[in-house]
Amino acid sequence: MKFDISYIIDALPRLFEGALITLQVAILGFCLSLILATTITIARTSLNSKIFNTIIAFYISFIRGTPLLVQIFLIYYVLPVFGLNLGPFSAGIIAITLNSAAFVTEILRGGLASVPNGQFEAAKSLGISGVALWRKIILPQTFIASIPPLVNEFTMVLKATALLSVITVVELMRVSQQIYSANYHPVEVLSATFVIYFLMCFVVSRSSAILENKLKVKRA
Amino acid sequence: MTLNFLELKGLHKKFGEITALNNVSLNVSKGEVIFIIGPSGCGKSTLLRAVNWLTPPDKGEVCLEGDIVGSSSSKLTIKESKLLNSFRARMGMVFQQFNVWPHLNALENVVRAQIVVAKRNKAEAEAKALKILDEVGLSDKINEWPDNLSGGQKQRLAIARSLAMDPILMLLDEPTSALDPELVGEVLSVLRRLVNNGMTMLIVTHELGFASKFGDRIVFMDGGEIIEEGIPKKILKTPKTQRLKMFLEKLNITSFKQ
Amino acid sequence: MNLEYTIFIDYAPTLLLGFWLTLKIVVCAIALGIPLGLFLALGKRSPFVFLSFLSTSFIEIFRNTPFIIQVFLFYYVLPFYGLRLSAEYVGILALAAFGSAYFAEIIRAGIDAVPKGQLESARAIGMTDWQSMKNIILPQTLSIVLPPLTNQTLTLIKESAILSTITVHELTMTGLMVQGETFRPFEVFIMVALLYWALNETIATIMRRFEKNINKNRNTGSTKNSSAILKQNENIR
Repeated sequence: MKFDISYIIDALPRLFEGALITLQVAILGFCLSLILATTITIARTSLNSKIFNTIIAFYISFIRGTPLLVQIFLIYYVLPVFGLNLGPFSAGIIAITLNSAAFVTEILRGGLASVPNGQFEAAKSLGISGVALWRKIILPQTFIASIPPLVNEFTMVLKATALLSVITVVELMRVSQQIYSANYHPVEVLSATFVIYFLMCFVVSRSSAILENKLKVKRA
Repeated sequence: MTLNFLELKGLHKKFGEITALNNVSLNVSKGEVIFIIGPSGCGKSTLLRAVNWLTPPDKGEVCLEGDIVGSSSSKLTIKESKLLNSFRARMGMVFQQFNVWPHLNALENVVRAQIVVAKRNKAEAEAKALKILDEVGLSDKINEWPDNLSGGQKQRLAIARSLAMDPILMLLDEPTSALDPELVGEVLSVLRRLVNNGMTMLIVTHELGFASKFGDRIVFMDGGEIIEEGIPKKILKTPKTQRLKMFLEKLNITSFKQ
Repeated sequence: MNLEYTIFIDYAPTLLLGFWLTLKIVVCAIALGIPLGLFLALGKRSPFVFLSFLSTSFIEIFRNTPFIIQVFLFYYVLPFYGLRLSAEYVGILALAAFGSAYFAEIIRAGIDAVPKGQLESARAIGMTDWQSMKNIILPQTLSIVLPPLTNQTLTLIKESAILSTITVHELTMTGLMVQGETFRPFEVFIMVALLYWALNETIATIMRRFEKNINKNRNTGSTKNSSAILKQNENIR
């Protein structure tokens, strides 16, 4: 069977729609993950609760020690047992959020460590504390220091969305499977899908340098 | 016409905007010990590294015993690369930062290149290594890992490593500059032995005391050019150029005016 | 919800079989992937533009696409070239290719982390580029790259779960099958997860001990810096 480019051209519109869903899922998952991870980071640093820290350590160890696919199955198949019937999309977002948040928490831990201790002290001596301390002083510096690994993590999330096809979420991978199950030309369709994924991830990872420059803050 | 042992002809090297070597030429006779001195950034290291083509110059030629080691006019073919490696094996180079190989013990450091480059068999290489390590005073350290050696011991090991290849020329790039003062002496005594054994040497250094005692010639460089050269007694006592005068004054070399 | 403990006992042997296949697949994948990664790393650094371009392209392509689609492509494309392999072998090849792209970057960073003077002293004594690599640079690279290489192997163990999508009977696929029989997803997937997690922790702990031993022997200041350099490049998964 020869490689027939017409199958690619026919498939493109639907593939682009799928790519859009992929992007939406990735952005949503990543944003939720950032929120969760930031909350955990602040709580870890401010609460000083041994129980909390142990739970978080266990959570991170579990996420980093098990495959994302298994985590997805756990959420998708196990939650209904507890009465939560969420549907594939929600289950998928939750799985990705929980997964990514563990890694982002570790990234932020590194970023936070690079913020000089003097920042905390200077702010406190000016009377800034609590939420404002975090919002205005610490978090911005933490995030700026963490841009390269965060961008890297976003590309990981982008790639991870493809796994949601296994629980029937209709993102790019699933769309391509639907197309080639109908036209029996998996090679052409998968190749096109492959290129689309590559372009998405490649563009994102290259933008890391640009983002860093735009948001660069001079150390004082 | 006598054939010069080592000839550096018209060497020119630029690093971006900076001219490190500006049409430098130098002739070295067999057995000569030449000290190259000058302020930081004057090009003396670049000159030394051009001799074994480690930092190939943009223009110029280097000839050892009449054979061209490297010429900027031609790009290196595979055959020429092989030739260059054989030239390098005959020139020993000693670095300021020692560059001993940390994953091999002292004996292995001296043996490895003999086997790999000079193609000697293991027994021969080890015998030679033991002999040379003894000459540099490291016979009690042959099984030691380089990280457990002092700076002076590492540098002596580096010298031994080069000597095991039976070089006809030694290039030393500030061999004692990275050493604590009390360790400089042990390295200088090894170098003194080499001088007494008739080794041809090019040494970049700040050790003017050593240079004045053991050098046949001192070459003073500044701004990528050879400003003045001559026998130590003359050039250090009565410097002809203003730049050399200023350089010596900066180093407060009144003690050499004896 | 009540936990059916019998599941753990009845189906443990089946799951362990799947676990065993996972191990075999990952071992084969790194046996192929690390040498290929070394080749790619050297290729990327090579002065031959063609080789360098090919290596860089391979690395970028496999690092910037999801593993699942690489698996599917291998699965559907290989028969085109006459290679009718079983799903397991397709899986090994796909995992090896995927791994090699990451191994290549790790090894490349390791080579670059070796101090410049090491290469200079090797060349100055007359060694060819290959002799310098083999005798001086690569041995030093080894102690630098061992931790991140192990890390990447742990990642490959987790990615191997994706081979379940092309019906390789590794641990995850086995788990799905058991789940299909028993309709007890919680017990089954917890067992599966714990097996992966235990493997992960075991290898990580062994590597930590091993690392301490290596560094005791011949740690130079440069090695400590290299670890820091590599952490930036490291894929933290």
